[in-house]
Amino acid sequence: MSEYTPMQAEIADIDIESPNTYLITLKLLDETTDFRYLPGQFVMISVFGLGECPISIASSPTRRSLQLCIRRAGKVTNAIMDCLVGDVVGIRGPYGNGFPLHRMMRDVVIAGGGSGFATLRSLINYISDRREMFGKVAIAYGARTSQDLYFMQEYKSWQRAGMEVAVTVDIGDELWKGNVGLVTGLIDRFDLNPGSAAICGPPVMINAVARKLMERGFHLSDIYVSMERHMKCGVGKCEHCTIGPYHTCQDGPVFSYDQVREVI
Amino acid sequence: MKAFLEKDRLIPFLNTLSRQIEVIAPLATEAGAVYSTWQGQPLDLRSNPLSPPTEFLLPHKETLFRYIQESGRYTFKEDSIPPRLLFAIRPCDLHAIALLDRIFGSEPSDQAYFRRRRATSLVVLNCTNRGDECFCACLGAGPEAQDPCDLEITDIGDGYLCQAETPAGVLILQAAFNLLQPAQLEHDQEKARRLQLVEDAMPRDRSYHQIRQAIERADWVALGQECLGCGGCSFVCPVCHCFNILDRGVPDGERLRCRDSCILSGFSRLTGGANPRRTAGQRLRHWYQDKFEDLPKITGLPGCVGCGRCHLVCPAPIDRSDLKVESREAKI
Repeated sequence: MSEYTPMQAEIADIDIESPNTYLITLKLLDETTDFRYLPGQFVMISVFGLGECPISIASSPTRRSLQLCIRRAGKVTNAIMDCLVGDVVGIRGPYGNGFPLHRMMRDVVIAGGGSGFATLRSLINYISDRREMFGKVAIAYGARTSQDLYFMQEYKSWQRAGMEVAVTVDIGDELWKGNVGLVTGLIDRFDLNPGSAAICGPPVMINAVARKLMERGFHLSDIYVSMERHMKCGVGKCEHCTIGPYHTCQDGPVFSYDQVREVI
Repeated sequence: MKAFLEKDRLIPFLNTLSRQIEVIAPLATEAGAVYSTWQGQPLDLRSNPLSPPTEFLLPHKETLFRYIQESGRYTFKEDSIPPRLLFAIRPCDLHAIALLDRIFGSEPSDQAYFRRRRATSLVVLNCTNRGDECFCACLGAGPEAQDPCDLEITDIGDGYLCQAETPAGVLILQAAFNLLQPAQLEHDQEKARRLQLVEDAMPRDRSYHQIRQAIERADWVALGQECLGCGGCSFVCPVCHCFNILDRGVPDGERLRCRDSCILSGFSRLTGGANPRRTAGQRLRHWYQDKFEDLPKITGLPGCVGCGRCHLVCPAPIDRSDLKVESREAKI
């Protein structure tokens, strides 16, 4: 069987994160499979008959379950969200490089925007479970409305693990008592030494956050960005995800900001 | 191992081969030469077919696997790949196959490609007649085969000088041993003379570095305005290998791999609608940059073999190697 033949995984659990976003827990049917991954890697998930799409892994390898955070966006994600617990999907991977953890073991800023926060949850939970290996950690997360904030029940546990968590929304409402505004505004408040950073979100947000961090003395090559590109194969052959000489699926999706700043 | 095959024995030679293996050869059709299964049809060995033989390694559509559903669980099956012999492919296309081997062989290697590749024998016809748009010599791809193949044949006037390069090539010659004659020193000399004539007739102004300079100099906005975005260039390019993966059939069906093209507007468009290469000019530039900047970094070789097909097929008034807008009349 070729690289393109997926493994089968059963949907073991579905958590509703927002009206259009679910966190699904997968269980590989072949339990002997040694499925190891790093924060920042992704899988190709498929619903047979409808096709495949790349989804970043939202769980940390330090914990047992494999979780993907899926937002209704296209044909395949719609089909996955219509699945019930017990249904079988195909997955292959993990693909991509993941975050360079060994170079991030100092003060870390984690900045997420919208659904880009899913891949950062993997990193946050990893750091939370390996807390002693990292310095000060500050998390800045922005979503469109308070309805669109993911993983709200976990913020407390991150704070207990000694991480600073700041959240903001673009559009406030009467129920929302928190910040309204841009993610960059949250970063101003952090008391951090220049260290490393992980960013995932819309291009405008990535550039704004990176600029802000550079002002704070962060080096370009210490700012890691998880890039989103159209992908089909996941193994660097189909050429959909190329950024110059890089294949996002193999050389990325995590790039240092100096590698990709011109194309964001 | 070398041997000489008289021209009137070519058809018996192919007959012998086709009894053992499916032979794909350039057939003479009303639409020009076309690679297809040979079953005694007339051949066209003078012109290089517009559709490259790499389509037999990376078909326009192929089944990656079939999925069969039972009680909500799936079993997967792969189709078997029949052995094939590609007959009379040109050195430029052989060079393209060497490139594809490097691209699909980079880790993790693409077994769907190599299943076909391993089942395919290659017989190369060295180019003793040059097409109008050819510039293979500028890119080190021809006119004599530069890359590994099973059997190399050269038209030396009254027959073909055959050189087996692999054990499979020796077996091909042995299968038709009674049709062959021993090769003579004069045959080698005649081959060298004819190939030198072709090489001398090649343009010299289309080297890798010259085309790279043209890419830097080109007015991509103007070229983008002329480009029709049809993707024709990438479907006839023997090096182009972009593909799409899609499913057909519920609950049982097949996962297909289909050829795709980075020239098409939706190629890199994301689900949300954002498109990193929005304009035709950006996409055309990317097509060239991939071949002359990015593929050399990945494979160590230029991603162009100088076959000239993109220029032949392009309906827009664009000179595909000088990268300039042509007058419309020049193209017609």
